[in-house]
Amino acid sequence: MSRRSILLQDVLKDTLCPGRHGVLTLGEAVRLTKGRIHEVQGDSADCFALAVAASLRGPVIWIGSAPDIASLNPSAVRDFMDPLRLTVIEAVSRQECLWSGEQALRAQGIACVVIELAHGTDLKESRRLQLAAEENGALGLVMISEHARTSAAETRWRCDPSADGEVAWDWECTKNRKGELGAWRVKWLGDDDGPSIVHLVATTAT
Amino acid sequence: MVRVLSIWLPRLPLDRLVRRGDPRTDGLFAVTAEIRKAVRITNLTIYAREAGLTEGLSIPDARAICPDLLTEPCDPMREAALLRALARWADSLSPRVALDAPDGLLLDIAGCAHLFGGETAMCDHARQRLADMRITARMGIADTKSAARALARFGKTPIALAPTGRTSDAISALPAAALDLPDRTVAELARIGLKTIGQLYGIKASELARRFGLELTDALDRSRGHVPDPVAPYTPDSIFSARMSLPEPIGYLSDVEDVLRRLARSVCHRLRHRLKGARRFELAVRCVDSGDHLLSVGFVKPCFRIDPIVQQFARPLDDLKLEFGADLFRLVARQVEPIRFRQTRLGDRGDADDHLARVISTLGNRIGFDHVRRFRTHDSHLPERESFQVEAVAPQTDHVWHRRRRKRPLRLFPKPERLRALEPGRPPQSFEWRGQTHRTASANGPERLAPEWWRDGDARLRDYWRVQTADGPRLWLLTYPGVNPPDWFVAGRFP
Repeated sequence: MSRRSILLQDVLKDTLCPGRHGVLTLGEAVRLTKGRIHEVQGDSADCFALAVAASLRGPVIWIGSAPDIASLNPSAVRDFMDPLRLTVIEAVSRQECLWSGEQALRAQGIACVVIELAHGTDLKESRRLQLAAEENGALGLVMISEHARTSAAETRWRCDPSADGEVAWDWECTKNRKGELGAWRVKWLGDDDGPSIVHLVATTAT
Repeated sequence: MVRVLSIWLPRLPLDRLVRRGDPRTDGLFAVTAEIRKAVRITNLTIYAREAGLTEGLSIPDARAICPDLLTEPCDPMREAALLRALARWADSLSPRVALDAPDGLLLDIAGCAHLFGGETAMCDHARQRLADMRITARMGIADTKSAARALARFGKTPIALAPTGRTSDAISALPAAALDLPDRTVAELARIGLKTIGQLYGIKASELARRFGLELTDALDRSRGHVPDPVAPYTPDSIFSARMSLPEPIGYLSDVEDVLRRLARSVCHRLRHRLKGARRFELAVRCVDSGDHLLSVGFVKPCFRIDPIVQQFARPLDDLKLEFGADLFRLVARQVEPIRFRQTRLGDRGDADDHLARVISTLGNRIGFDHVRRFRTHDSHLPERESFQVEAVAPQTDHVWHRRRRKRPLRLFPKPERLRALEPGRPPQSFEWRGQTHRTASANGPERLAPEWWRDGDARLRDYWRVQTADGPRLWLLTYPGVNPPDWFVAGRFP
């Protein structure tokens, strides 16, 4: 009897364990679980999103309101990845944003879905996104420009351009359900002609 | 040199019934249609005409004259089908046949007439064949479409020819109504004594246009061949459609889906057989209470499978209120394109494309295909014109995105936002933007861009500055040189 229940648990663990779809590691320290929802805030949230999208393989879907989508400049996206990988969705309402995000996450073969929202998702909304993301292992990123709310997201990040003169960013993990928090200084490696991906060069744990 | 043969079938509705062997057509019989809020006679048999009836009489009037009259309403759908069948037959005369709905055909017969022994012989032959099919026809041949139509409809003989190059002479004696003008214009022309086309030719076009509008002069120009008016051949595209009408209306979504699945199976089977797929499917649903509804779904790639069709229709069907049920369904494949089979199991590139196409279809069908877009590059040095967005359903081209040499902001505002300079400088030492005060820590610039003078639009020089603010954000400031005091704008922000 006990033997059977252990086996069942093992099976459940295998199918439901967080890393079923693998983990994305940026630099050495930043770890994002695939098949999960992550949240990003701050002035340079789009930089974080692009860095994540660029280090995954496969199509990227970027969902936002009309001004967000209109202001996205593919010439600068090219510094991170090929803009042809990007499909943008212009949603007219928050509801449509979330619906499109859910559909995109649920689809097969999509590497990353970026959803731009003013206010963060609440528990119900993020739970739905989470379930959709688990299906095929797409990595979901919710970019929040205003207030974050309590949500089912795996991690939450705060990304701001660093203020001390050089081209660098401060990435801070403010919430992590299965792991540690931390703060990192991220620099742009390579010269002006060939920067391809953001690298973490120094870690300053808080 | 264009020669146009116009075939007019004045009795098409009646001829259809005659062909069907309707016994009533041997007696007092008329075909009717609703014209100007009354049911009126449109076609009548020779016996009815002998009894004193004419076209245009309303039914009560006609019954008063001839109480034994039998009538039948016309059936435009079936008449159109007969006309299409006749268009296919007309292929034997010329390869370029156009429908002239509702009751005519137009043929471009340049280079064809000699095969029948001349134009007159060709018309005789065609009329004979149509008579064999028990269809009455009148014909006209001229250099232009509208002249040929006028001759067929208003010519004195059943076959009216305008010799090559003398079209205007041939139609000058015809009434102005032959030019297919609106009734109002014809009446106005008649009021001032202009009855024939020839009289109109004698008047200066500018004067006619001033009084009667450009419509009339355009019609005259077309009839004389001064503006090109080619015969656009009708292409008998095969239509991939299936329909099902049910004895009792159905309302359950599962039943409707079942019907849809059956229709899709029939359509997809035929599409597959021809190696075709469709980018758009339309489903017409006739609800018992609220009439016809047309639902449509699109696909990024030509689709010939049943499941995606059923899946994509799920949402529109869900939105449709089927309170009392529907009893007629028709599925039509639109935008039919050839499908290209590809090798499977070697590389997963194609699969990835398929997956993406499926998402785009799903999203596009709900939020509109114009809201699902991709980026394309454009060859320009102006930052806002370096790229543009196209609908993601647009065909993929193999283009490569080259890296730009200059640094561009990640967020480029469609309209530069004006900032308020607090401390002057070039760029301002401190400024207020979006309600926040920023202090310039370092700046890089100016990058001067000249306008694209060959295009209309903003023709000012621009100076761009990359500014690192003390509190973090890296902004792209814009100013127009030569303006005093300088106006500053935020054009975008770097990541």
